[in-house]
Order: sequence, then C-alpha cells, then structure tokens
Amino acid sequence: MGKRAAIIGTGQTNHCSTREDVNEMELVYEAATAALKDAEMTIKDIDAVVLANMELFEGRALHDMWCGEGAGALLKHSFKISTGGTSGTSGAISGYYHVASGLFDRVMVVGFEKHSDGNTSAGMALTDPFWDRHIAAAAIGNFALSVSEYMADRGVTEEQSAKVAVKARRNACNNPHAHLQMPDLTVEEVLESPILAYPVRRLEMCPQSDGACAIIFASEEIAKKSCARPAWVRAAVTRHDHIYLGEVKNRLTTMRSLREAAKVAYEIVGIREPLKEFDVAEIYDPLTYAEIAWYEALGFCKDGEGGKLIDNGVTHMDGELPVNPSGGVISTNPVGASGTIRVAEGALQIHGMGGKRQIPDVNLALVTGYGVYCWSDVLVLSSKPG
Amino acid sequence: MKRNSQQEELLRVPVHMKLHYRFPAGAHYDKFFEEMKETGKIMGVKCPECERVLLPPRPVCGECFVRTGEWVQVGPKGTVVAYTSIYFPFVDGTTGKPRPIPYGAGLIQLDGAYSAINHILEEGDPEKLHIGMRVEAVLTEEREGNIGDILYFKTIEE
Ligand SMILES: [Zn+2]
Repeated sequence: MGKRAAIIGTGQTNHCSTREDVNEMELVYEAATAALKDAEMTIKDIDAVVLANMELFEGRALHDMWCGEGAGALLKHSFKISTGGTSGTSGAISGYYHVASGLFDRVMVVGFEKHSDGNTSAGMALTDPFWDRHIAAAAIGNFALSVSEYMADRGVTEEQSAKVAVKARRNACNNPHAHLQMPDLTVEEVLESPILAYPVRRLEMCPQSDGACAIIFASEEIAKKSCARPAWVRAAVTRHDHIYLGEVKNRLTTMRSLREAAKVAYEIVGIREPLKEFDVAEIYDPLTYAEIAWYEALGFCKDGEGGKLIDNGVTHMDGELPVNPSGGVISTNPVGASGTIRVAEGALQIHGMGGKRQIPDVNLALVTGYGVYCWSDVLVLSSKPG
Repeated sequence: MKRNSQQEELLRVPVHMKLHYRFPAGAHYDKFFEEMKETGKIMGVKCPECERVLLPPRPVCGECFVRTGEWVQVGPKGTVVAYTSIYFPFVDGTTGKPRPIPYGAGLIQLDGAYSAINHILEEGDPEKLHIGMRVEAVLTEEREGNIGDILYFKTIEE
C-alpha cells in the first residue's frame, strides 16, 4: 500500500475541432497554467511532470521534446505515457504512483492531443503490419464489429444507443470546456445521422478534438494544508487483455480488462453496490454502445440491463448515478487528454467546483479509461483519505 | 465548433511523408504466409496447454505464457461471429489510400480455430449479413505471401 495522495488542482483548455490559434506547446501551457492557478501553486512548486499523448496522431514523435517546456518540465523529473485511449488515465495513474511512492510531493500530469495537426485515421491504421493493416477501418470498424455481437447478445437497441448520445451532448452544454454542445439534439436526429460503419452512426461516435488537461497530485501533508476538499485517490488499477480483436469472444459484452480492473478497484475501496455507492461516474465512452456496455462491465446493473439504465434515466444528471456530467468522450475527445479529463472531472466533482455540471454532495467518484479494446484503467476518487 | 477566434490566419505547413519500413515477420508469420502462398492452406498454431488454435499464429500463448506447439490446418470455411458494413472511406494501412465503400467486414471464426480473424466479406449489404452465417475464404490466383492473399470471404449455403 502506497502513501496517501490527492488531486488538489485541475485545468483544461476549451476543446474544439481546430485550434488554429495555438501550437501544441501553447495548448499544453494553457492547461498547465490553469491547473497551477487552481492549486494556487507556481511551476517552482512542482517536483515532477508526466505527459500523456497518443503517438503518431500528430505525425510527430517525442512530444516531450515538442511540448515539455510548455508543461514546465524543464530540468524536472519527467516521463511520457503513450497508451492510446488510456494515455490520459494511465498518465494520471503514473502521477498518483509518483506521489504514493513517497519520492515526490507535487506532481503535475498533462494530457494533450491536437488531432487537427495530423491524420488520426492513418495513426489508427498503423497496427500489426502483417495482420491488421490490410483491413484496418480505424476505431469505428472495430467498434462496429463488436457492436453487432453486443446487440445480438444483449438486445440493446438503436434507440437506447441514441439516448446516450443525446444525454452526452446535452450534458456537454453545462461544461464550458466541452467540444460538442447540442442542447436540442433528439433521438431522431441521432438515428438519422449517416452510418459510418453499420450500425454505428456519426452522432454516436466521439469527435476528434484539440485540447489539453492538467492535474496536480499532492502528498497527504500538502493536500490537507492547501486544498479545502482534496480528491483522494483510493484505487488506481490497470488491466490489459489480448490485442487481436478476434481473440476474445464478444469483446464489448465481456470487456474483461474493464471488468477485472473494476473488480480489483472495488475490492480495494470496499465497494459492493457501485450504483448506490458512487455519487458520480466519469467513464471513457468512445461511442454510445460502449457506454451501455460499460454500465454492465462496471457492475451498475446485471448483464443485459444496461439499456434499461439509459431508458429509465438512471445515469442522467438527476438520476441515481449521473454518468459523465461533463458530456464525456462522446462530446470531447482530444485522445491523449480524454482520460486526463475524466480524472479531472471526477476530482472537480469532489472539489465541489463543477459549476453548472456539479452534482450535489459528491463524496465518491468513479473514473475509467479505455484503450483500443485491449486495456482499461479504473480509478476511485473520494472526499475521504480512507 | 471553432470557438477560439483568431484575428489573423497563422502559418500552416503542409507535410507529405513517404516512409519505408521492412518489418521482420518472425518464424510464425513466415510459415503462415509461405504456406498460404504455396499451397493455399490456412494454418493456425496450437497451444500445448489450453489447446486453443490461435490466429494469427504466434510464438507464445498469452493465456498460458508457454511456447505454442503444432501447426493445424483451419478453414477455409468458417462462421461470421461479428459483422459490419463500412460506409466511411478509411485509409487502407497497406496502400495509404482509402478503400472503395461500402464494403462488408467481419470477424470470421474459421473451422478448427479458436480465434476469429477480421477480414473483408464479399457481401456488403448489412441486411444480408448476420451472425452465424457461413462463409468461405476466397484466395487470389497470384499470391504474394501476405494477408491480402485472402481476397475476401464469400457467403456459402450448407
Ligand atoms: Zn494456452
């Protein structure tokens, strides 16, 4: 068991499809300075910097070189995490480990992605050159395959999927940082949007965003002194699964990496009824169908009942367990930052600083990350150090 | 959705990259593709402990963390376990160019194999695709020793 650590500050850029006005270093600097301001710190106070970004999307290597100075990493201990969709959550877990190890007292994690700089679909196609490249259809093709299995297996409907899209884009209207804010979006409009890969429609997928998000982790002594309501990290678990899509039967249905990570995290914290015990969840929902599948994998309901949760409004802002008050990844997706944003939004809810997207009295928050079907992160944040 | 206004257009530098790589296949891919090229047979490799027949063939079973063992012929017939029709012009990772749309894609569990492989389906109409449908691999006449030697999987009646 490591030492106690908490999130004491967060900062985000405004996320959108193209930030023509800044380069990546400037984007990173915006998030880093916002987090430092939130934590009432200066860069001098920071012992270590962790960067999180998906390689190849921007067509550049060594992002630490391009952006490190913008994150304040100069002559500091610094690492980069690059694990696809989980880059941001794994970066946050790394930041937590730094403090939990007792070797560092104040660590800043900065996740970032500037999709408009590069070619995301080409980056996604650079998989196993012998097996996958020939038929790679980006993330959407793989999702669509799994959705066909999931729908057949669990009976989830197109309407239930569309309801998730509507919830996400409406929630996003309460989040000034969110990319896709659609206050009037309807289920009908989602179902009328063009099919990208059957049965997945454009409005059911996450966008590609430019954006960055920073989080500051602190040791127990510093957190108690400098933050009114620190968000304590109570569990941080990663699990990896087979990399070939066809190796796991019904991957979306079973999602072993997420199930296993959640099981372990819940055991650490002593959570038995996640739907009742969590006050809010910020989960990595790359598309609508995945959010419903994650409800089941995370134990919010029995297997096969995920669709009912969205039908009954259980995961809406006023439901028993609001899921993604921020609008989620479906509304905002700078990939390397998407996981960091989940952690920041979970922490923000505990800090009580969520503004219009604040859920009242949040004491326990669930955060997840997701990477190319193969691995998952689960973090539990709490208002109590445990 | 652009909400960060700019007063003036800032410089953007267009870059086109043509990069050359030579990836070593390793012994398992080497045998798999050589066999398919020469004889048209699709071969999986069996784990001696869990006895799963794996595709793509590889040196280690991830479940058991032991070296895989004997080669087993699989297919060419199989069952569709997941399917989609692609309506968006994604980049073909082997050519760098978009593939003509729409086209069918599926996870196909070849007879005798544990793993399903993702590949192209001849049938591209989602109304005519379903889980459990039977398909058979159609190989190219002139084979080059890569996964593209399987042209697609055609629908069969049994
Ligand atoms: Zn085995």
